[in-house]
Amino acid sequence: MKFQVERDVLAEAVAWTARALPARPALPVLAGMRLQAGEDLTLSSFDYDVSAQASLPVAVEEEGDVLVSGRLLAEITRSLPPRPVEVHTDGARTILTCGSAQFSLLMLPAEDYPALPDMPPAVGTVESDVFAAAVAQVATAAGRDDTLPALTGVRIEIEADTLTLIATDRYRLAVRELRWSPAKPDLSAAVLVPGRALADTARALTAGAEVSIALALPGENGDGMIGFEGGGRRATTRLLGGEFPRYQALLPDQVNATAELPAALLSESVKRVALVAERNTPVRLSFTPGQLLLEAGTGDEAQAAETLEASYEGDDIQIAFNPQYLLDGLTVMDSDTVRISFTAPAKPAVITGKPAADQAPDYRYLLMPIRLGG
Amino acid sequence: MLAAVRIVIARCSVDYAGRLTAHLPSAPRLLIVKADGSVLVHSDGGSYKPLNWMSPPCRLVEQPDRWTVTSKSGEILTISIEEILSDASFDLGIDPGLRKDGVESQLQETLAAQLSVLGEGWRLVRREYPTPIGPVDLMCRDGDGVSVAVEIKRRGEIDGVEQLTRYLELLNRDPLLAPVRGIFAAQEIKPQARVLAEDRGIRCVILDYDALRGAPRDEMTLF
Repeated sequence: MKFQVERDVLAEAVAWTARALPARPALPVLAGMRLQAGEDLTLSSFDYDVSAQASLPVAVEEEGDVLVSGRLLAEITRSLPPRPVEVHTDGARTILTCGSAQFSLLMLPAEDYPALPDMPPAVGTVESDVFAAAVAQVATAAGRDDTLPALTGVRIEIEADTLTLIATDRYRLAVRELRWSPAKPDLSAAVLVPGRALADTARALTAGAEVSIALALPGENGDGMIGFEGGGRRATTRLLGGEFPRYQALLPDQVNATAELPAALLSESVKRVALVAERNTPVRLSFTPGQLLLEAGTGDEAQAAETLEASYEGDDIQIAFNPQYLLDGLTVMDSDTVRISFTAPAKPAVITGKPAADQAPDYRYLLMPIRLGG
Repeated sequence: MLAAVRIVIARCSVDYAGRLTAHLPSAPRLLIVKADGSVLVHSDGGSYKPLNWMSPPCRLVEQPDRWTVTSKSGEILTISIEEILSDASFDLGIDPGLRKDGVESQLQETLAAQLSVLGEGWRLVRREYPTPIGPVDLMCRDGDGVSVAVEIKRRGEIDGVEQLTRYLELLNRDPLLAPVRGIFAAQEIKPQARVLAEDRGIRCVILDYDALRGAPRDEMTLF
């Protein structure tokens, strides 16, 4: 095998592919990254749950197929000087040369490397930027606790030309609707995708204009799988099983009070006031007509208070939130103005951007308050 | 007063000779001599860790101004005592041991008392229902009178599913019981274990121990 490639192009593709390298490989070959030089260079990694593959144009002098330590290759390519890179095999070693630096890597047995799963059939495409932003908005609410595996996932509901992404960790729930282009207009499906893998993949697939989504539903052939492809990169992830809560019932159908205020000012203020909030203690929000008072800390500790101008309609309300959860929702809001809707101090609040007139917001962040004085 | 813990506050210096040598200059310190023979030297800091210690089996030879603790392998801890400020012994009796919440026996007891978690109208046949290869945690009858064997784990892994599968295989040979269905209940169930269990028609149930015990949650959740 022998090829030349630009350092940045290689480093980026290797870094992307390295995401699917298992931290503790069950089989030694799974620690490897496969380099296949044909017309293009194809990089692959796989841990039986997640696979990643990147194709990049390189100048191939001699075709070949090698497996080298993925972690090491990723660290090397990240640290190379900005010069063209040449890779070739020499006996049982793969030699990587860049400028005056040379690395000689041991080869793992490529013939023992498992075949990557076939990409399931494509079901539609979505704009990569929109998709990445939507996934980031939702994945922030996904659980990180493996004792409730279904809650570590993001549910993707497909209904004709609308994708709905939902995640919840029981303390908050994020829902985002977005348009996409289904391959078949009457497609209807719902799957549960591991949240962290989805967030990583969506963020990394913004190189191309579009992301193609491929889906194999759980059935006789296994757990089901979702694939994403765009800009010469593709990733597959095994779907999660388990029951996802019926989230529609959690969205309050009645609103007794609504506040609107600038998103940036509110998040900055929450960050400031929360400095005195010990772990797991709330920030308290008191809304009165025209203003919001934020407070944190109690009598025995440091305390903070700040007043913001806010438009507010409804009876005065005092409500308390986990500051981090509140910030998580505010930072992913895609609007300069946030609207917070309340039912009661012990009922979840709904945070949305300020939608254009007569339009329902496409992103909703439902946040459970913390009991005051408890 | 042999089987007692002895607590001494003394101004002392300590020398240790063994795999390495260490010296603690003179200062007031807390010396603990436990009934198992171990000797611990504590300062008023450094958290739970002693500055120096000797694990049993070891021998303590006490002279008025010097304690010598010798271990089996020949390490020597020498405590040179300048002044004893306090010396007290207490017989603590037999320790009941550390009890952890949420162990399997407690989960079994708690779930047996609240079978409604599994379904309406369920009855307990008995806990520790015997089979030829060991007892299954709970044997129940569901609302329709069908036998259900429940295996309870703290962490549900594949070997727990295999264990329940073996019980079910044997229990289903009993014409008075058969058909026996299975439930795999745990505080957390590994995805692989869940896949295997569900593939074998075994229902998986996540046990929320705090909720089962009726412990008040201090956090409010959406569901």
